[in-house]
Amino acid sequence: MRGNPGDGVRLTDIPNLSGSSDPSTGPQDSFAAGLVDHFFRREYGRLVAILTHKVGVRHIDLVEDAVQTALMTALTSWVAKGIPEDPGAWLYRVAHNHLIGALRNNAGRLRILEAAANELTVAADNPDSPRFDDEVRDDLLRMLFVCCDEAIPRDSRLVLALKTLCGFSTAEIALRLFLSEANVLKRLGRARAHLREVTPDFDSLPLQALQSRLASVHVVLYLLFNEGYLSAQSDRTIRREMCDEAIRLTTLLTEHPVGATPETFALLALMHFHGARLMARLDGMGGLLLLEEQDRSLWNQDQMRLGAEWLQKAASGETFTRFHAEAGIAAEHAFAPSFAQTRWEEIADLYAMLDRIAPSPLNAMNRAVAIAEWQGPEAGLALLKAIEPPPWLLGYYLWDAVLGELHRRAGHNEEARRYIERALASAPTDAERDLLRRRLASLEFALIPPGRRDSPDKVPRIASE
Amino acid sequence: MSTQKYLCMYRGAPSQNKPSPAQMQEMFAAFNGWKEKFKANILDMGSKLKPSGKVLTASGVTDGPFAEAKEIVAGFMIIAADDYEGAVAVVKAMPGMQMPGACVEIREMASV
Repeated sequence: MRGNPGDGVRLTDIPNLSGSSDPSTGPQDSFAAGLVDHFFRREYGRLVAILTHKVGVRHIDLVEDAVQTALMTALTSWVAKGIPEDPGAWLYRVAHNHLIGALRNNAGRLRILEAAANELTVAADNPDSPRFDDEVRDDLLRMLFVCCDEAIPRDSRLVLALKTLCGFSTAEIALRLFLSEANVLKRLGRARAHLREVTPDFDSLPLQALQSRLASVHVVLYLLFNEGYLSAQSDRTIRREMCDEAIRLTTLLTEHPVGATPETFALLALMHFHGARLMARLDGMGGLLLLEEQDRSLWNQDQMRLGAEWLQKAASGETFTRFHAEAGIAAEHAFAPSFAQTRWEEIADLYAMLDRIAPSPLNAMNRAVAIAEWQGPEAGLALLKAIEPPPWLLGYYLWDAVLGELHRRAGHNEEARRYIERALASAPTDAERDLLRRRLASLEFALIPPGRRDSPDKVPRIASE
Repeated sequence: MSTQKYLCMYRGAPSQNKPSPAQMQEMFAAFNGWKEKFKANILDMGSKLKPSGKVLTASGVTDGPFAEAKEIVAGFMIIAADDYEGAVAVVKAMPGMQMPGACVEIREMASV
């Protein structure tokens, strides 16, 4: 706040007005007069991306501090004096000046920073030089590819993206990923340690040169979406927000040649199809509703249409990836007029294709579920018997839940009870336990909830429900 | 129309707390709401004060202030109210007052 005479009083000293563990979702957002939803968060991501590209990835810590300071300055100044005409340019200018100061300060101690400070000073005469939308987009994408460096430990990539691109604090990330804040800090620390080693020549590489990281980018975006879609988090707003962030970043990716591939299109289609059903999937209490229990009229038609458009684009090439298979499955569910009229044969085929591309007993299991809907529980059970379950699958609640359900439908009540009780004992969340209890109690249940991120299968999956 | 003026002084060291961007947006909304509600009372939003300054005495100029950190005036504003009760109500409603350790001294300004 120093050096800003217009500062209001002590505004910045309030950590948390609502006193809740996560204030980002309060109803107050809607009356933040004059600012769009998530303005501060979006600006954080935008400014970090632009300035990081300007001064180099290795200075990302200083960049983040400068952006944080600029937002804090804005908070006090804007309350006192009103929002400036171009708030984005205002923030950029303040962040930019703070960053120059920080680089200069550090330059005294570390020679190497001097170059970055001087470089930035050249542009300092006109720090609010206009930024074209596509430049900002490219800087955001570059940041995404920075986060998805294979050299960064896998666990750290998503956390880094949430911090830098989405503007979440470590506490907010911890809440969203069901991690301790200490764990989030540890993951971020590992990522930062790597970024400090990134050499200056990296920053001048064209975006296209980073395309080898595209697969890692896809995985991170997929994880980000799943963290919203499959989360044990019961807050609907938080879940929606995570899915929206994934869709926002994936959409950016489709807009640049570096990411505009059929695989990206399929991933975005998948997100839209699932996103269309997200709210209908949750009951009022944050519990999960089975596909057959969902009110299909609540599915978001616009988003389903977007899903269909992207899926069509995805089909333009020769490639058929796991995202194509998964988007195809999601599309079958989305466009089925009712649960009973679902084309289970198609879905079973798509699971078979998915299993060929990304072999996993979970895909085989989901296929058995579709077959059971199509040809009856005994046919499903026969398929399950053919799977040689690896040890992790035997202790996995979904495996037990599926076996229990199919046995129950086949009238093998003894086995059914045994499997469902075992599933209950290892189900990871209350929502899933409730679901299983309902299944125990009712003869209505049919399909399984998706594979979860804590599956030992490593790559979390969006299953067909 | 309130006629008494009150000087409100914020005491204490600035917090090291770093709110997240989402929290900042909420704070922004809350402060704007407060400012709107009491716009008739808030005569001057005042300012934060930088932590160090100069102290002048008959014997010269020194760096200051010398008070303990928690007593240093960190910012001020001027409000109008009918009486202390009214002034307290304005300050009490300020979102910042929920912060642990928040301390505001309110002094009626003597009319000349």
